[in-house]
Amino acid sequence: MYYFSELYRRKVETEGGYYVGRLVDIVFLQEDTPKITRILVQNGQKNILSIPLSAVRKINHEITINKSFNFSPALPNEITIAKHLLDKQIIDLIGNKIVRVNDVLIQNNPFFYVSGIDISLRGIARRLGVCFIPDFLNNFFKLNLALKLLSWGDIQNLELATGFVKLRKREEKLSRLRTEDLADYLEKTNIKNAGKFLKSFDDKKAAEIIADLNLNYQSALFMDFKPETASKFLSLIDPDEAVDVLYALPFKRREQIISLLSEEKRQELEYLMSFTTTPVGNLMTSQYLAVSSNQTAKDVIGKIKRDTVDYSFLAAIYVLNDEKQLVGVFSPHELLLQNPETPVFKFMIQNPIVAHLSTPVEIIVKKLLKYRISSIPIVGKNKKMLGIVTIDDISDFVLNHVGWL
Amino acid sequence: MLNLVNGQLFRLRDKIFLSFPFLQRIAIFFAVFGPATITAMADNDASGVATYSIAGAKLGYPILFVLLVITPLLAITQEMGVRLTVITKKGLGDLIRENFGVRTSFLIFTSLLFANLATITVDLTAIKTASSLLNLPTFPFILVMLITIVFFVIKGGYKLTQNIMLISSLFYLTYVFSAFRAKPDWNLALSNLFVPHSIQFNGEYLRNFLFIGLGVIGTTITPWGQFFISSFAFDKKIAASRIKFAQIETYVGAFLTNFFSFFMVVATAATLFVNGIPLATGEQAALAIKPFAGEMAGVLFAVGILNAGFMGVVIVSLSTAYAFSEFFGLSGSLDRSFTQNRGFYIIFLFQLAVAAIISLFPQASLFKLAVTAQVINAIMLPLVFKYLIHFTSSKNIMGNFVNSDFKRRFAKIATVIIIAASIAAILSAILGG
Repeated sequence: MYYFSELYRRKVETEGGYYVGRLVDIVFLQEDTPKITRILVQNGQKNILSIPLSAVRKINHEITINKSFNFSPALPNEITIAKHLLDKQIIDLIGNKIVRVNDVLIQNNPFFYVSGIDISLRGIARRLGVCFIPDFLNNFFKLNLALKLLSWGDIQNLELATGFVKLRKREEKLSRLRTEDLADYLEKTNIKNAGKFLKSFDDKKAAEIIADLNLNYQSALFMDFKPETASKFLSLIDPDEAVDVLYALPFKRREQIISLLSEEKRQELEYLMSFTTTPVGNLMTSQYLAVSSNQTAKDVIGKIKRDTVDYSFLAAIYVLNDEKQLVGVFSPHELLLQNPETPVFKFMIQNPIVAHLSTPVEIIVKKLLKYRISSIPIVGKNKKMLGIVTIDDISDFVLNHVGWL
Repeated sequence: MLNLVNGQLFRLRDKIFLSFPFLQRIAIFFAVFGPATITAMADNDASGVATYSIAGAKLGYPILFVLLVITPLLAITQEMGVRLTVITKKGLGDLIRENFGVRTSFLIFTSLLFANLATITVDLTAIKTASSLLNLPTFPFILVMLITIVFFVIKGGYKLTQNIMLISSLFYLTYVFSAFRAKPDWNLALSNLFVPHSIQFNGEYLRNFLFIGLGVIGTTITPWGQFFISSFAFDKKIAASRIKFAQIETYVGAFLTNFFSFFMVVATAATLFVNGIPLATGEQAALAIKPFAGEMAGVLFAVGILNAGFMGVVIVSLSTAYAFSEFFGLSGSLDRSFTQNRGFYIIFLFQLAVAAIISLFPQASLFKLAVTAQVINAIMLPLVFKYLIHFTSSKNIMGNFVNSDFKRRFAKIATVIIIAASIAAILSAILGG
């Protein structure tokens, strides 16, 4: 992940070390996935060179590009970061001014795209080259100058040409930058840097990012945290995720963290931990893919490629709303039949078959066989998704209980 | 979050605007003119009154020449600000940030903050002067006024705003009546509008003329006023098709501002300058309205300057906080709680605190600080004009509403003259001081 301000005016050289110019703008597609197509480089004669992204070799202290490349022409639906996005006013649905685009985030994995917008004071400090000021204020005055990021998905990208950045939703409902993206970024850095990175967010946001990390990284992080920090974040993340984390930690560490939790929180977590002793709780896995109903088929396919590399099983994709309630399901087969731009809600099956933690395993087996499904979602109170039980998970149970096999 | 468009500053202006129909005759007359009148009133804050008084007392009628020259400049630059906003639907701060980035915004905001701090300090020393004229203890009085200002900005009473504007217009009118009753030499006054004459133009007079003249420019055409009028026009949501009315309004407003300024200068020139009375205290300044107010002059001046100081502090400090939000796009509505709008509140309260501390020094006198503060404002003007002219002359931004050659040249030449005068004033202050 890069900030535009970090790349702006960075030196561009060819592989042989020949100076080309300085990066002055980045061109991207005005689409739901704002893929970056070109970089604009100003050379010594003040001419602007349009260099295709494919020519960019690596980004270090300098940006290195291929020795030979073709200047790429402009496409009709291209806009640029510096001209159309940076410093623009962000307005809400009814035109009220909200904040400004202080910096732009660029994700480089799996490809280069504009992933979000920095709307915080930190963005301004970064551009003025005085990053230490917010850190200083945070540390010495306990002012919480957190990093605030807005996700690309929250912006009406077609409105960008009007000179304003218009939001998709009501301001209070903004998801900000997808925590999954930040988690991806975090998983690539070492634990020490991760702690620092998380500090630049407020606690709630940091907890959301932690919740989106994979379990290995989570447990490594909770081993590295001070016990107080660990218990603080543990009480902020979803209880079922907290339970997973706790089970991934060594016994001594687990007891230490639990002892620092508030009485109420401890009871809640211990209650949830007791589920793991119920039969369904034991069988349940949290390894399932969840998407939101307004994502497109293309988004989902991208997500499968990105997020399910280490999945052992993927028979169904679950659709959750903002409250993590289960609202639909579809199979990878149905997904592949769709046009890339079709939104999930158009083809998902509503009212999926579900089971509860208290459902006896026999009933779950019957449901799986009766409806010919390979996995069944387990929901808790208010239809909140807890996990899934897959046909793989119950095969041992079936083998043990069906005598004639 | 940053719902400043509907923020307090605009509500305040709306209240001011809306309140006019409820006033008596004068107010009804003003109501026709809307934004122009507001700007006219706001421009003549306490530091403005003090600067014009000093100009009249120290320089006499020749300074009226400067007033005549800057009236079209005020009209043209205010009109540019209104036109810019009506066409682009953006404020001056917005455009600077969007076209020139964070660093330039930071530089201009810092200069604006500095100039506004100077103006607010002078307005607070005016409140101090009022307290001494009314024989009230200074420190508690300023404290009470500060609390009132904060309370006013947060709660902002409709009736109160109305009364403040009424007192302002009455106060300025006393100068008009005084000017007539003082029986000035009208021939001299009017001819000096066009050519400064009938005075011994020695080195010291010229040096004062340069410095105070710059102060008169700075208090008439204020940097904050440029931001103020463009946000005002934004708030009024004037349609591009009705831009003619808005343009006429700004011309009327410019005339009105300087109409009052003219009589302030004439009244002080006819009472203080003619009789060789130096202007250093509130009592002396009050002499300018004595021909009209008689023995009540001291009290009337105290109330008037208190009112003008109060208004100046409120509007100038809010306009800094507003510009901050425009430049940096942070949350800035007073409807929100402190934590949600830290930037807006911190800027607003910071200015009040710094200005209060400076104004409480015994050496800080209204008549010592006023001109210097306005010179700071004048020195900053070219920086604001540079961007104002740049945007309004850009075909890309303005389309068919781009500046006429005359306006662009006039504003550019004026900018160069102000820069030259600023440099000359600074040099003469260094060398002469």
